Amino acid sequence: MRKIVSAFTFMCVIVGLLAFGSLSLAADEIKIGIIDTYSGPPSSYALDVLDGFKLALNKINAGGGVLGKKITFVTRDDKFKVDLGLTAAKELIMRENVNILVGTINSAVTLAVSDLAQKEKVPFLVTYAKSSNITGAKGHKFVFSMNENTEMIGKAAAIGLAKRPFVNYWIAGDDYEYGHAVADAVWNHLKKLKPDVKLLGQSWWKVGEPDFTPYITSILSAKPDAAIVATGGAGCIPFLKAAKNTGFNEKVPFYMHTATELSTMKPLGLDAPEGVIGTSNYYFYYPETPENKVFVEEFKKAYGRDPSFGSLIGWFTANFIAKSYEKAGKVDAEKFAQALSGMTIDSPAGKLTVRQQDNQLMLPMFMGVTKKAPGYDFLIATDIVTIPAEELMPSIEDIKKVREK
Amino acid sequence: MDFSTTITLNGLIQQFLVGLSRTTILFIVSSGLSLVLGVLRIPNVAHGSLYMIGAFLCYSISTLFGAGSTGFWLAVILAPLGVALISLAAERGLFCHLYDREHLMLLLFTFALMLLCRDAVKIIWGSNYRSLSPPEILQGSLSILGMPFPKYNLFLLGAGPVVALGLWFLIHRTKIGKISRAAAVDRDMVGAVGINVSWVFASVFVIGCFLAGLGGALVAPTQNITQGMDHTIIMEAFLIVIIGGLGNVWGALLGALIFGLTDSIGILVWPQFSIVFPYAVVVIVLIFRPKGLLKATW
Repeated sequence: MRKIVSAFTFMCVIVGLLAFGSLSLAADEIKIGIIDTYSGPPSSYALDVLDGFKLALNKINAGGGVLGKKITFVTRDDKFKVDLGLTAAKELIMRENVNILVGTINSAVTLAVSDLAQKEKVPFLVTYAKSSNITGAKGHKFVFSMNENTEMIGKAAAIGLAKRPFVNYWIAGDDYEYGHAVADAVWNHLKKLKPDVKLLGQSWWKVGEPDFTPYITSILSAKPDAAIVATGGAGCIPFLKAAKNTGFNEKVPFYMHTATELSTMKPLGLDAPEGVIGTSNYYFYYPETPENKVFVEEFKKAYGRDPSFGSLIGWFTANFIAKSYEKAGKVDAEKFAQALSGMTIDSPAGKLTVRQQDNQLMLPMFMGVTKKAPGYDFLIATDIVTIPAEELMPSIEDIKKVREK
Repeated sequence: MDFSTTITLNGLIQQFLVGLSRTTILFIVSSGLSLVLGVLRIPNVAHGSLYMIGAFLCYSISTLFGAGSTGFWLAVILAPLGVALISLAAERGLFCHLYDREHLMLLLFTFALMLLCRDAVKIIWGSNYRSLSPPEILQGSLSILGMPFPKYNLFLLGAGPVVALGLWFLIHRTKIGKISRAAAVDRDMVGAVGINVSWVFASVFVIGCFLAGLGGALVAPTQNITQGMDHTIIMEAFLIVIIGGLGNVWGALLGALIFGLTDSIGILVWPQFSIVFPYAVVVIVLIFRPKGLLKATW
């Protein structure tokens, strides 16, 4: 018994020393913990975010950091799994003593970590998850969305699609949260804007579906005017390939949210179908402002490739963090959260503001159509229509309503 | 529930053909799995990883030769050979020491191998998405019964029977086929009559893995070549092997046909819940024939 007690005391001392050691270390730096998916198909997006983040951070630190402190970061791989993401978040808070959490691409992981962030009072900046619940029903003062969400996608797509002459629609998508959320949002808003639209039918496939040809041929035999395709991430590429090979895009115009994004268009090269309608928050070739050109040049110089929307997210997330600490005047979670809420910064995509009422970043959306263009070895978005952020943000009354539930 | 989608005969035939072309890939991959399972008794979970490596090799070889038609055809031949080479090294270096172990150990071992392959792919090819164009003559689509049918799927439709015939010839008309069939029934007896069982096993393993690589190479132009290709296919391949009868190559053919066709017809009939169809069939088959449709070699 005495042995056990002394062993226990010894362990307590060691743990205490370790905790004290890292505490004293934390004093002269601001530490950020990044949780994201660095393995499997989603890692392509997570690495874009990380590179954009590093680019901005290096510049901030080269200029002396903020409040006389350098900003450092550590990363953890959640492998797209809720339990791993949550464990990593706990470990980052308890052991690494991070001041801020950043991440992740998976909405389920994000909501779990957000819950923890609220309890532990650690600000959490969400970089790629698109669930509208993050700043909607499950929102709180420590969680900030640095990305658009499914509600905003739905509104933007509906505004764009309502202007087109289509009446009979077909909906198809990934059979999981993102797919259904996007499809529902687009359809609900579209019905409001254009009440005579009709839904002929729906197809839902499993995530990671390898071959879309049978789905496309079955949609073709229903002969809709247009289709809404709610597939995201890695699934966009095989879908667009199958669309090109069956000539789907020539027979049925279709909308796919991320179709025009660089992450989708670049791997396909000139093999992508033309005339696909897509929405995106950022193109490296649009808007053609000096700020965007500088950003593209710097990113290209550092990483040898063009920046995607993910890279931009990483870039402005780092800048928002630095600016908020400057405004807060000291390293304090409560003060930081207050400073970030309602903050505006200049970015390559214009002025960006975190809306005070729900901590949702106000991002404009661009609707474009895929097309081959001289000088590019992949398809780019053309006929770009800008939908301003004010038009596609969920209304504050709606946010209040869902949060009260 | 909206059942208003009218199903035309043309649509049905079209869907049937698309399903058949999908079956080709499933058959090629699962016949390799079944072969290894039948003769060597290895439930090779890493089979899907070899399929993924086949697709990545096909991409790399094809782009190395300028991403044109020649590059593609060369890649379709070389990529499975590359996979065969990897599997030969794995068999001689690792598996051949483990044949006496129980199945659970082998299962765990192949699982470990799968994880290793996954990380190796991540290290070698990175996490970017990759896409490969089919060769010039197989791009676009033909009109069959007024509906577009991708030319590449037509090519797959032709490739399936060729592979099946080749396998039939190999198993029933060659010496190694005969020996391996005998070894599947009683490996001690085969050894007792003076045949080097070890090398028979090695060749069967390599042939099985070659088929995984071939499946990966053939599927490359229709897919996003990325990490994670392995786990979808391995699940489906195991289901096919189980409903067909463990270790029976023709069972794999039958299983692939059932799985592929119920999938594509299901998509036409009830697109909203089509995911369920192939798995429901698996359940039905297993209720009535728990050992699979054809005779299992186990």
